[in-house]
Amino acid sequence: MACGSLPFARNRMEHAAIFGWALLWFAFWGVVGGVITPQIYARKDLEISQASFGGAVIGAALGPFSLLPLWIATPKIDNRMIGVAGALVVGIFITAFALADPDNLCVANGEFVISQLANGIVIGIIYGLMALGLTLIFSILGVVSFAHGEFYMIGGMVTYFMTAEWLPGAPPIVGILASCVVTFSIGYIFERIFLRPLGSGQIERPGEYAILVTFGLAFFLQYFTQALASANPVKAQRFFPFPRTEIPLDSGSLLRTTPGNITILDTISIPNPRFTAALLALIMLAALLWFLYHTWTGKALRAVSQDRQAAAVAGINPNSMNTLAFSLGAMLAGLSGASLVQVFSWLPQVGIPAAARSFVIIVLGGMGSLPGAFLGGLVVGIVEAAGTGCVPDATRAAAYIPAYGMVILTLVLLLKPTGLFGREL
Amino acid sequence: MIPSLFPSKRRLQQRRAQKFWAVAALALLTLIFAACASQPETVGESAPATESQSTAAPAAEEAMAPIKIGVLAPLSAPGAVVGGETLRAAMLIAADEINAQDRPLGRPLELIIVDTEGLPERGTAAMERLINQDGVVAIAGSFHSSVGVATKEVAHDNGIPIVFVETWNDTITSVQYPEVFRLAPLNSEVAAEDVKFIQWLRDKAGVSIEKVVILTENTDYGIPAAEETTRLLEELSIGTVTFSVDIGTQDFAGIIERVKAENPDMIVILATGEAGYDFPQQAADAGIGPQDVPTLCNHVSLESDAFWRNVPDGNFCFVRRIGPPPQLYNDVAINFLTEYQARTGKEAAESFALAAYDSIRLIAQAISEAGSTDPTEIINALENITHEGSLGTITFPINQNNTPEQAGLDPKWWHQFPDPIITVVQYQEAGQDSINAISVYPASYQTGDPVIVGQ
Repeated sequence: MACGSLPFARNRMEHAAIFGWALLWFAFWGVVGGVITPQIYARKDLEISQASFGGAVIGAALGPFSLLPLWIATPKIDNRMIGVAGALVVGIFITAFALADPDNLCVANGEFVISQLANGIVIGIIYGLMALGLTLIFSILGVVSFAHGEFYMIGGMVTYFMTAEWLPGAPPIVGILASCVVTFSIGYIFERIFLRPLGSGQIERPGEYAILVTFGLAFFLQYFTQALASANPVKAQRFFPFPRTEIPLDSGSLLRTTPGNITILDTISIPNPRFTAALLALIMLAALLWFLYHTWTGKALRAVSQDRQAAAVAGINPNSMNTLAFSLGAMLAGLSGASLVQVFSWLPQVGIPAAARSFVIIVLGGMGSLPGAFLGGLVVGIVEAAGTGCVPDATRAAAYIPAYGMVILTLVLLLKPTGLFGREL
Repeated sequence: MIPSLFPSKRRLQQRRAQKFWAVAALALLTLIFAACASQPETVGESAPATESQSTAAPAAEEAMAPIKIGVLAPLSAPGAVVGGETLRAAMLIAADEINAQDRPLGRPLELIIVDTEGLPERGTAAMERLINQDGVVAIAGSFHSSVGVATKEVAHDNGIPIVFVETWNDTITSVQYPEVFRLAPLNSEVAAEDVKFIQWLRDKAGVSIEKVVILTENTDYGIPAAEETTRLLEELSIGTVTFSVDIGTQDFAGIIERVKAENPDMIVILATGEAGYDFPQQAADAGIGPQDVPTLCNHVSLESDAFWRNVPDGNFCFVRRIGPPPQLYNDVAINFLTEYQARTGKEAAESFALAAYDSIRLIAQAISEAGSTDPTEIINALENITHEGSLGTITFPINQNNTPEQAGLDPKWWHQFPDPIITVVQYQEAGQDSINAISVYPASYQTGDPVIVGQ
């Protein structure tokens, strides 16, 4: 039976036609702008690198009212112009949605919107941390690690077993550090044995080799963990129960905490495990940025990512940087897992959807871009939260969660294949 | 010093050789683990292979050969692994007991256990393999309805009897395939019991219930169950809002905000697997969990070890239990429970553990009564069987001799065990075993009053 015919699938937009027409407007004028603008710019022998993407966004925003002036004046299409047009598109989208479904929680309930936004930002920060590892590996080694989700899984497993099974009662930091050590070590050993040949040009088809060998590692880690730890779900206790606090003391209207929750301004409610996971992610992000921008080794990593040969001439061993980058990337994934094992039930297969989401994020942010990965994580987190919260049909809102990321991926590949911060291909 | 990027040819050859062996080793290890994970698990006694036997007549060999029974269980995600492990443990106990005491046709029973991952496509592939490669004569098991709906077709196409243990979708039996038998309850009947419980809470226990939120999974179990529950609740003038999620969903934060905005008087969780743990705990973190709003948790919560490990704030969950309550266990169930506790370390046996245990014993009895391993004969024997199992006396009264039309019943009762007892228990202490959980409904099985939260 199709979902649409379910008796309980009754939550529909009040004026769906308004929203439908808006989407049709975006699609039609976006395609017109994206196809015709580069042709006009090319005929006039102008810069066309942004013409397709810019034309699509400008067309989607105001249709013929923006495209005709653009085609006549043919100004240089820069990021600022695209940004303004993009903001217009978002504004029109939100307005059309609000007109189409005025009773929707996302329109009528400000507290709900803020809570969903907070949820999206919190989970987006964690997504970003995981994707950072993947993009770090890609930027240095030029390899997409298909075992990234398994490092994430191992990070959570090690944290759980350290704090619940092997050393019950041990502080969570012990588990987190152990997960860092384990994932870093696995990454180090794997890179030294299997990926080192890529750096020395011994592999004839390095792209295919890297895919196969990281896939192999993913299967190995997944089934090895299942053999050792079984496939039963596990979960770590929350790391740091909040003390019961109310600020101000009599009402708690500014800040109220219970062991499992923090409520800010009586509006934003964030569960304890997510809050601590996001906090950990932010701390790690700051530490990573400090490492990359303020230490010799970090600068060397960045140098290798920019120009491998030039870095070698300057006295940097690219092979060592490869090893460090892969190990560090694996550790970041492990750390994400370590912080989330107190949020989700944990299984040997838990890394598969997480890895798929990370691929979406790094494509969105731009392959190899660290700020792009973090921003991409935030965007995906917010889009997922908005989709889950705003899709009128409750029976479908959460079922579409995997689709939201795929929609983003499709749009990015269509409109800006290099991503938000990616290098030109 | 600048490192050499161009090593000597000899060094390159050495490195290539090292890499080759390293890659080969990893590939081998991976293959071994992958193979271990995907290969069916064969358990039970095999016929002893002795030198004298190799010269014996083929008929004698066949007479001593083990009888192969296939087992379907979700043993890895996104399936409900806890449920799959339970089915496996219970069926192994049954097979071991039969092999030790009461072998059908004097031959040992061999269980071939395959992992369905809770996915219909994996289930059908596993069924094809069990039937066409392993040569099983009957099949038992399956936890997820979506797997049951798909695999019943394979059983029907191949004429192999299958006894479903924990698949509730009505259509599994309503198609009236001769090969399909079921010990699990019907989805619609369970939904009716859920609604009766909610009605009892409202009318007898004095709980104010005007709106119920249902969280269901997008499967052949979850969707019909939510439909039926919604329909019946609306007949009682209780409003419903249903949220559905894909099997394997982990993050419920967005949905939970919507649930909070609905301000429900009760939450019903029809999502199995890890979602059955993740949702109540994340709801509890958000202040709308079982300690804040009356919550009918999913039946996977009866596996108390996994439940408390994953839902530490799950106290006051109501959980529907299929099968007899522990105080009404018969001798078969008590003996099973003793062995189950010894093998698994669990304090209690889940209802589907009893059904899984009975399914193997049922098939063994059918083979004995048929006097043959011919699937058609086994099917005929199952139709007329009376089995004293841990669930009680098992029969399939609606069959080819007494069709649903003749009995004036809905086709869903075809080859259906009609008498599973359905009760509702409530965890009233953190860490409580499900066997010690308070039975709160129906009144005839009540061992204590329900604790109502959030009123």
